[in-house]
Amino acid sequence: MEKILSDYLKNKFPTDEFLTDETDENNLSNLSNPSGNIPDTMVDKVGAEEFLINMGPQHPSTHGVCRLLLKMDGEVIVDVVPYIGYLHRSMEKIAENRTYLQYMPLTDRIDYVSAMFCNHVFCLAVEKLAQIQVPERAEYVRVIMDELNRIASHLIWLGTFALDLGAITPFLYCFREREKILDLLEMVSGQRMTFNYMRFGGVSRDLPPVFIPKAKEFVQYFKPRVDEYEDILTNNPIFLGRTKGVGILDQKTAIDYSVTGPNLRASGLRWDLRKEEPYSIYDRFEFDVPAGTNSDVWDRYMVRIQEMRQANRIVEQALESIPEGEIKTKTPTVFRPPKGEVYARIESTRGEMGFYIVSDGSTIPYRIKLRTASFSNLAVLPVMSRGWKIADIVAIFASLDVIMPDVDR
Amino acid sequence: MTKEEIIQIFQNKFPERIEQIPFVGVDVAFKVDKDLILEVCRFAKATPELSFDLLACLSCVDYIDHMELVYNLFSFTHKHKIAIKTSLPRDGEIDSVTPVWNAANWHEREIAELFGMTFRNHPDPRPILLAEDWNEGYPMRKNWDGKDFVRLPKK
Repeated sequence: MEKILSDYLKNKFPTDEFLTDETDENNLSNLSNPSGNIPDTMVDKVGAEEFLINMGPQHPSTHGVCRLLLKMDGEVIVDVVPYIGYLHRSMEKIAENRTYLQYMPLTDRIDYVSAMFCNHVFCLAVEKLAQIQVPERAEYVRVIMDELNRIASHLIWLGTFALDLGAITPFLYCFREREKILDLLEMVSGQRMTFNYMRFGGVSRDLPPVFIPKAKEFVQYFKPRVDEYEDILTNNPIFLGRTKGVGILDQKTAIDYSVTGPNLRASGLRWDLRKEEPYSIYDRFEFDVPAGTNSDVWDRYMVRIQEMRQANRIVEQALESIPEGEIKTKTPTVFRPPKGEVYARIESTRGEMGFYIVSDGSTIPYRIKLRTASFSNLAVLPVMSRGWKIADIVAIFASLDVIMPDVDR
Repeated sequence: MTKEEIIQIFQNKFPERIEQIPFVGVDVAFKVDKDLILEVCRFAKATPELSFDLLACLSCVDYIDHMELVYNLFSFTHKHKIAIKTSLPRDGEIDSVTPVWNAANWHEREIAELFGMTFRNHPDPRPILLAEDWNEGYPMRKNWDGKDFVRLPKK
């Protein structure tokens, strides 16, 4: 690697005017560490006017710890290489050393801004494998929690996305509403973000009596708030200039890279697992699946705005029709699912979230593979950002709604 | 399309090479020989009646004496999903399916790094998740023993 870099530098500075041998070596050691593995395509074909620039890992716009190495031609991006793994905690290895229930709190940490989905998909996979029936009330509670969490997650996305583009006001608005949701979720689960709320066969505790009136109040309160965000952003000329026609991800590429969720829907494919493969009780609610037409950053923004409205609609319907009854099917204290394999998936905030579990019939899972949406969504970034200006990479990256612990696991 | 029809299409194309296996949560699951994997994947994507255009998940499982790769495929057109399994020896080699789905690129890099197998013709075989100076072997293997790693006894 050092050789490639030194060749590259020699090409760049053929007269050795700036680099004596000693400084050359010093510079090289700085450059190759800690970056190390630069793909050959990145340095092999560097043209006369091209240069490499580093973004991250500690950068306010990378929403976590992600490093991007950009190959630039002037202000235009020629190529991008994402470096991930800074938050790799090896969730999959830890799973092989915990009982099923002990793993539940850890699933919250996979995607900490929409932790309910991680809980839900893990429960769903185990329930499928062990054929556990979930009581109706518990299903309603799960849907309410999921959709409230979806709104909270989209709000944090909207706020930081606008912040990345230079608009500070939406951030404050979004966090005002998000805090109300987190209060509701805390009322139910005891935690603001890492809930550890769902259990195999139901949920851990029933809704407190004050929850339903409070949640109904919130639903009504939230409806006009979305219009407020739209007033600030949707027709704002600066916002339009930064987002319209930028970072186009066509449908074919999106499917090829397994991009799912709002990013895929913004590419024009009206695909939502809640509609197409209804898990839990999503077939009982009326809601629309928004989709984009131009597959640009603005469409991805619009899809998420619409999704917040639809999620709010689902919560409203669920709160109206939630029945009384049991909240959990009894499962054995020492829980041993039967031998077998299962793949379960749900529509999380960021797309398809899947759990692949191999059980050998003991109390500990033999293997758990986490299929997270952000991992696949981030892989498409280089394709999307080629040819755009360096300022656009911030908008494009933010519009993917990637969250780094979800990527690294 | 029913489960039987899906498996029948594969069996017609690859006679006596397809072995159906139980798998919860998918329509059909079967096992193929590791040398066939690229061909089977190409066929699954290109055949109009199947058109598996989404590689939903690619996982690896270590069974001590051999490794197993699991390809979870899904079709947006027909809304059916299958799992294809293949087994190979530890430290084995297998064809990369990146030419079929670009999504396999990162998944294969992850598996290569954590399980220590090789993907032939992979376009970008760099490590992906672990630290740059990692030298403690392949952590996802069942017999891996890292510093301070305590195994929970099995019951």
